[in-house]
Amino acid sequence: MTVPLLHRRRAKPAPERPDGVAAPSGPPPRRLSRRAQIARDRSLLLMVLPAVVLLAVFAYVPMLGNIMAWSSYSPYQGFFSSPWVGWENFERVFSNPLFLNAVGNTLAITAFQLVFFFPVPIFLALLLNSVMSPRVRTTIQSIVYLPHFFSWVLVVTLFQQMFGGAGLLNQTLRQHGYAGFDLMTNPDTFLVLLTMQSVWKDAGWGIIIFLAALSTVSPELYEAAAVDGANRWRRMWHITLPALRPVVILLLILRLGDSLTVGFEQLILQRGAVGVGVSEVIDTYVYYQGVVYGDWSFAAAAGLVKGVVSLALVLGANKLAHVFGESGVYKRA
Amino acid sequence: MNTTTHLRQAGRVADVALERRSFLGLVAAGAAVVGVPALLTGCGSSSDQGGAAAGVPVEDAIPTYIPTDYVDPDFPSVNGSTPGFSRLPDTLVTSVPTPPGSGAVFTAMTPLWGTIPQAKGNQYYAAVNEMLGSTIEFQIADGNTYGDKLATVLASSKDVPDWVCVPNWNLPPRFATEIVGNVFQDLTPYLAGDKVKAYPNLANIPSDVWKFCVFNGRLYGLPMPGEILTDATFYRQDVLDQLGITPDVANGDDLLALALELTDAGSGRWGAEDLWTTAAIIHGVPPKWRLDDDGSLVHRVETDEYRAALAWNARLFASGAVHPDAVAAQDGDAKQRFQSGRSLIMADGLGSWNEALRDNLGANPAFWQQPFAPFAADGGTPVLYKGNPANISSFLKKTDDEDKVKELLALANALAGPFGTAEFDLVNYGVEGVHYTKDAEGLPVPTELAASEVQPTYVFLLSGPVVNAKVQYPGYVEASSAWQADAAQYLTDPLFFGQQISEPQQYASIGQPFQDLEKDISRGRKSLDALDEAVQTWKSAGGDELRAFYQDILDNA
Repeated sequence: MTVPLLHRRRAKPAPERPDGVAAPSGPPPRRLSRRAQIARDRSLLLMVLPAVVLLAVFAYVPMLGNIMAWSSYSPYQGFFSSPWVGWENFERVFSNPLFLNAVGNTLAITAFQLVFFFPVPIFLALLLNSVMSPRVRTTIQSIVYLPHFFSWVLVVTLFQQMFGGAGLLNQTLRQHGYAGFDLMTNPDTFLVLLTMQSVWKDAGWGIIIFLAALSTVSPELYEAAAVDGANRWRRMWHITLPALRPVVILLLILRLGDSLTVGFEQLILQRGAVGVGVSEVIDTYVYYQGVVYGDWSFAAAAGLVKGVVSLALVLGANKLAHVFGESGVYKRA
Repeated sequence: MNTTTHLRQAGRVADVALERRSFLGLVAAGAAVVGVPALLTGCGSSSDQGGAAAGVPVEDAIPTYIPTDYVDPDFPSVNGSTPGFSRLPDTLVTSVPTPPGSGAVFTAMTPLWGTIPQAKGNQYYAAVNEMLGSTIEFQIADGNTYGDKLATVLASSKDVPDWVCVPNWNLPPRFATEIVGNVFQDLTPYLAGDKVKAYPNLANIPSDVWKFCVFNGRLYGLPMPGEILTDATFYRQDVLDQLGITPDVANGDDLLALALELTDAGSGRWGAEDLWTTAAIIHGVPPKWRLDDDGSLVHRVETDEYRAALAWNARLFASGAVHPDAVAAQDGDAKQRFQSGRSLIMADGLGSWNEALRDNLGANPAFWQQPFAPFAADGGTPVLYKGNPANISSFLKKTDDEDKVKELLALANALAGPFGTAEFDLVNYGVEGVHYTKDAEGLPVPTELAASEVQPTYVFLLSGPVVNAKVQYPGYVEASSAWQADAAQYLTDPLFFGQQISEPQQYASIGQPFQDLEKDISRGRKSLDALDEAVQTWKSAGGDELRAFYQDILDNA
């Protein structure tokens, strides 16, 4: 995971960095020629190259296809022979109640998970960090990581087998004379179900970053605090949490950028169980309109709206982080 | 997957062939009896009324019908029901004496509702390819999500395999307007009229079936002929016998009561799967359009029958007789639940009947699923709508290479060998001694290898005229033929029967809300009032224009 590294570099900028990025106490910046910069960073640039190529080929080039949002696109006519229709697709998107329903669901799921899913890995990391025995710790870690590698199909099936109307829990209840309950098909509690599934699958994976951040805290700080008479809670409040703060903010911003992307597979798999009223989100909506019904342009317009909103969220959150003195995801050079 | 059910939901309802959840499971293996569900109405989507566009008579594009009968059926067709054969002929005719292929390798994409066979060391593939003289390499995709895959593959014409199976209910949007002409080979110059004489087994396929393969006045498809009766509501007769219950179902209430009686949640047994397909059948919901007495077109979602079917299905769900996993829409496992006895009533394609026998008789020799005799919800005379002449067709990738087209058609000719030919025998049963052995009465007994290798693959490319020759399952042909002969008396032609109509693209998605609504109303998440609202939305979103589109076709017919 590169994030903690990134953070560390930002937090403790190397004073000798010559390009002047955040080196307030260093010597005055000395401008290198572009060529000298390249020569100096050669190995770093080489290392980043494969990622840049992947990004260009699979993210930036396809982005050009977004022009179809302003046309009535057909794959058999191509981008430039399809008739242009101006903003018509966008008008259709915004006047479509199903799209608005999808937006509403997306926001509800995001907000709910931000409150009930996002903090879980932090708590887990703090808990694990307090376990002294390395053997116990790695064992627990491995167990909680594991579900991350299961596909959503498997996760949803497992939940159905455990909590479904004919699942283990309900059957056991029935055999002991209690009424069963309805978790998997109840639209009213779907948000809770989704979040439970996400926590089970991914919370363990999420702690990696926080554990890495925690491992950078010098034990001397704790020792010094203990000598000064700080108890466990004060040590956590004054040392551990401040150490985690930049990572938490960073991840929060990244999460906001992703916030309109909520579990596509997870939702599509449970669509029939709870109905589209609560399970249709922007991504599934775009998929059905575009791929399944062949209305590519309409879907592209809807997807573009989502992209623009996501970008605005990231920029806004980043700005906010700067206002509060955090470095956020990036800073203007 | 619960195939049929899905199919229905999809195909029938909607104005399009939608198919995100598609269906079929069942297609029976084999040319013979394929259980493709019916009512899937013409799903085309795109404009220009498919079949006869631009004033070109469909008759000019289709092959001349030159029937060849090798064997007389033991259970002849009644009112169009599938003819049944209870034994194999003593001697098989080789209809294509020399392998027609050139030794080339062709790719083919087909769906499969089952476990995809290993290609390596597959003796069934090897034997069929040897008969063909060329190799067909299959790219098999899960049938339940085949439509999604198809939509993607067909959007990029250069990645299309040489031979592509396209189930009717999976016809992607823009198929007739744009896809078929740009991606697939026009077969009219090779097969129309007497030109088909070069391919006698193709000439043996009835004209109605071919008509369904015509788009924009040109012949593009190679058909897998369908059965006129497609779906039924099955119950586990073996289990009911054990429970000492003899079903006596004459109306919708009887079925609800039976489902509830069979439910014993404590022991993990529920009465039914999602019976939406059944609901539509017993209420006589038209596949797509109906002509009212005053001459106006009424869409199925506007009919009282549709509303009544929804209400009935909602009662079923509310009674608690539906398996909880089915309530959770885990439809992919429906067959498994039914076959393992965790649910006892299920709507499915007729073809699922022999497939279930194939998959279960080995472990459970007493296994028997039986369809209820047709009944109407109110106890009156049932109305059954005829299935399409073909539910699955295949298309050849467009090419300038005439020899390639001719070779593929020659391979198709070999694969289309009718019952009584060595080709039919090989494609449907595999190799004697490897995939089946003959018992004392000369009936083939499938080996274990057959279950894994002899999956419907070649038959999805095309088949000869539909027959029921699943002689390997004791009692099956007789039972199936008897049921069909009885049910066939209630058959009626849906409006626009047998026409390949492709709707304009802009109406592709207006039917979608009904698929979701059927699930919502059935499960009690929404009331029937939501239906009125959805119908209003449908009308204003293009439903009324769609009605005008069909009215036009009707007026010009």
